[in-house]
Amino acid sequence: MATPSVRMEHVIKRFSGHTAVDDLSINVPSGGIFGLLGPNGAGKTTVIRLLMGILMPDEGKVELFGTGKHGRHLAERVGYLPEERGLYKKMKVLDHLVFLGQTKGLSRADGRSRSQAWLERLGVADWADKKIEDLSKGMQQKVQFAGAMLHEPELLILDEPFSGLDPVNAQVMKDTVVDLAGQGRTIIFSTHVMEQAERMCDRIVIMARGRKVVDGPLAEVKAEAGKRHIALDFAGSRESAKAVLADRSLVASVDDFGASAELELAPGADPGQLLSALVANGVKLSRFQVVEPSLQSIFISKVGAEAAHAARVEEVA
Amino acid sequence: MNNKIMAVIRREFVTRVHTKTFVITTILLPVVLLILAVAPVLLMGHSDQTTRVAVVDASGSVLGQRVQQVLAAQKLDDGAHAKPRYKVDLVRANGSTDELRKKLIGETGFSSDSAKGKYDGVLVLDKGVLDDGKLTYYGSNVSSPKAMAVLQHNLSKAFAATRLTKAGIDVATVSQAMRPVDLSAKRVAEGKLTGQSGHGAFAVAYGMGFLLYLAIILFGQQTMVSVIEEKTSRVMEVLVSSLTPFQMLMGKVLGVGSAGLLQMAIWGVSAWLITSQAPHIATLFGVDPATLSAFALPSIGGFQIVVFLLYFTLGFLLFGALFAAVGSMCNSIQETQQYASVLTMLILVGFLSVFGVIANPSGTLGSVMSWIPFFSPFVMPVRWALTSVSMFNLAGSLVLLVIGMWACVWVAARIYHTGILMFGKKPSWRELWRWIRAS
Repeated sequence: MATPSVRMEHVIKRFSGHTAVDDLSINVPSGGIFGLLGPNGAGKTTVIRLLMGILMPDEGKVELFGTGKHGRHLAERVGYLPEERGLYKKMKVLDHLVFLGQTKGLSRADGRSRSQAWLERLGVADWADKKIEDLSKGMQQKVQFAGAMLHEPELLILDEPFSGLDPVNAQVMKDTVVDLAGQGRTIIFSTHVMEQAERMCDRIVIMARGRKVVDGPLAEVKAEAGKRHIALDFAGSRESAKAVLADRSLVASVDDFGASAELELAPGADPGQLLSALVANGVKLSRFQVVEPSLQSIFISKVGAEAAHAARVEEVA
Repeated sequence: MNNKIMAVIRREFVTRVHTKTFVITTILLPVVLLILAVAPVLLMGHSDQTTRVAVVDASGSVLGQRVQQVLAAQKLDDGAHAKPRYKVDLVRANGSTDELRKKLIGETGFSSDSAKGKYDGVLVLDKGVLDDGKLTYYGSNVSSPKAMAVLQHNLSKAFAATRLTKAGIDVATVSQAMRPVDLSAKRVAEGKLTGQSGHGAFAVAYGMGFLLYLAIILFGQQTMVSVIEEKTSRVMEVLVSSLTPFQMLMGKVLGVGSAGLLQMAIWGVSAWLITSQAPHIATLFGVDPATLSAFALPSIGGFQIVVFLLYFTLGFLLFGALFAAVGSMCNSIQETQQYASVLTMLILVGFLSVFGVIANPSGTLGSVMSWIPFFSPFVMPVRWALTSVSMFNLAGSLVLLVIGMWACVWVAARIYHTGILMFGKKPSWRELWRWIRAS
C-alpha cells in the first residue's frame, strides 16, 4: 500500500479546561472516502483543524503524505472546506474563486479557466458575475466547495459538507465527491448524518468526547458488530412485545421505529431465545431477520452513552 | 511565496478601489480644494477694490496733504496696471471736525453702486494729531485686520515724513531714509542653498507630518476593520489553510496602504494642478489672474522627497501591522478601543512633537525623537526639511526604524497567528504576552 495520506499519532489537543482530542491515532490510506463520524462536540472539527495545521497538537504527531509535514506547507496538495463557511461578501463569484486559486499557487489565467469549469459543473455558471452576498446559502457553499477543488488536490478535507444543502444540491455534492474519489483522490469528510456516511465511506472513524471508539473499513466494522442485530416488523399491536424488548438479558439496545425496530441482542442471548420469547408473549410479526447492523445503530450503541454524558456536561456548563 | 502576498495585495487593492466610497471621497476632495481655491478669489474680486477715503484735516499743517500723497501712491498689487489701493478726498476743516465728520459718515458704508455712498471710510486728523499721533478711522472695512494694518503702516509713514520735515530735514533725504527694505529668506542646509524659502520649508515640514498622521490613522483603522470583517465572515479559516500569518498580514497592510497611497497621489496631483494652473482656472471663472499671486505650493528638493517617502513607508508598515494585530485580537470595533487607543496615543505623540520640532528644529526633543522608531517617521522628515541633519543621524535613525518595523511586524504576525481564529472574548494584556511568546 502507498504511504498513508494522513497519519496522526497519539495526538492530544487541550483547550482551556478541557481536552478536545485525547490520545487520538488515525491512519487514512491513500485513495477512497474516509468518514470522520461523531456526535456534536466529539472533536471532529478540532481533528480537521489539526490536519490543516490551523491548530497545533499539544502532544503527538500529525503528518500528511508521509512527508513529516502538514498544514499550509502542503497547501498546494490539500483542499479544505471548513465547517464555518465564509467568503468575501462583496466580491464577485468568479473573482473570488480566482483569488482562492491564487492562494493555492495557481496563476490568474489558470485559476480563471478552472473556476469557470467548476462553476459549470456545479450548475452556478450563470452567477459568475454576481456578488457573493446575492447568492443563497446553498450556492455560496457550492462556490466555496469549488474553491477548495480548483487546484486539483490529492487530499480533500470537507467538514460537514452536506449540512445546509437541499436534497438536490446534496445529491450534486455527493456525486462530485464520489467522482473525485474515483479519480484516485483521498477524501476525508466529517458528518453526524450516518445514512450518508454509510452509503459513501470506505473507512470510518467514530469519535466521542475526543477519543476514537470505532476505526476501520466500513465492511469490517459492520461485520464485527454483525449477526447480533435483528430486524422486526410488527404485524399488529406491539404492546405485547414491550416486556420482551425491555428484557436486558435478551436485548441490549433497541432502535425503535414504531411499526418496526432494529435491536441488538444482549451478550449470551441468541436469536432463537428471542423469537421463542416473542412467540410466547403472543407478538404478531411479519418479519424476523438476523441483519448486518446499520451504521446508525452501531453509532448509537457505541456512542449513545457517551453522547448522553456529553450532553449532560454541556447542560451543567 | 511572494505570489501569494501579491494575490492578497491585489484583492485588497481592487476590492477597495471598486467601492463607491473610495470613488466619491477621491473625487470629492479635489472638488472641495478647487472650491476653496476659487471661492476666495471670486469673493476677493469684490473686497480688493479701491477704498474711497475722506480725510478730514483740522491739523493745520501739511499732514493732510502728505497723508493724501502717501495713500494715493499705494497700489493693490505689484502689477504694472494695478489699481490704486485708495482714492482720497481731502476735506479741510477749521476748528471743530464734529459737524463735517457726521456729514461724511452719513455718506459712508453703502455698497459701491448705491448713489448715496461716496466713501468707504472717513479719517479724522484733529488739531495736535501730529504730536500725540492719535487719530480715528471710521469705515465699513474696519473688521479686516489686513486692511487696517496696511492703513496704519501707511499713515505712520506719512506721519514720520511730516515730523521729519518739520524738524528741518530735507524732503529728498526723508524719502530716501523711509524707503522700505525687502527681505527674502532662503534656506541653507549642509553649506548649500536648498532653493526653499523659510515659509516654504515650514509648509513642507508641517504638510509631511500631517500627511503621515492622516494616512496612518485613516488606513490603519481601515486595516483593522477589514481584519475584523474577515474574522466575522469566517473567510479567515480558508485563508489560514493556505497562507501564512505573515503573508496575510503583509498583504493586508500593503494592499490597504497602496489603495490609500493611490488616493493620496490623486489628491496630491490635483492639488498641484489646481495651484499651478490657478491663473487658467481663475480666467475660467472670470477672475483677473493678477489677483492671485500669493498662492503657490512650495518646491521640494529631490532628496527631501526620498527621505520623506522612506520614513512614510516604514512608518506606515510599522503602524499598519500593529493595527492589523489589534484587529486580529478582537471581534468587533468596540472591542478594539482598549488596544487601538494605545496606538493612537503613540501616533499623536509623534504628530504633536512635529510642532515642537518646527519651533526648534535642532533642539533635544527632535534629536531624541528621531532615534525612536515609533516617532522618527514623524520627526525626521521635518528635521530634514528645517535644519541640517548629519548623515550618521539619518542612517542610524533609519536602521533603528527598520529594526523596529520588523520587530512590530514579527510581534503582529505572532498575535495574528493566534488571534485570527479566536472567537471568544478579547484577550487580556497578560494573555497577549503569552500569544507572542508561544505559537
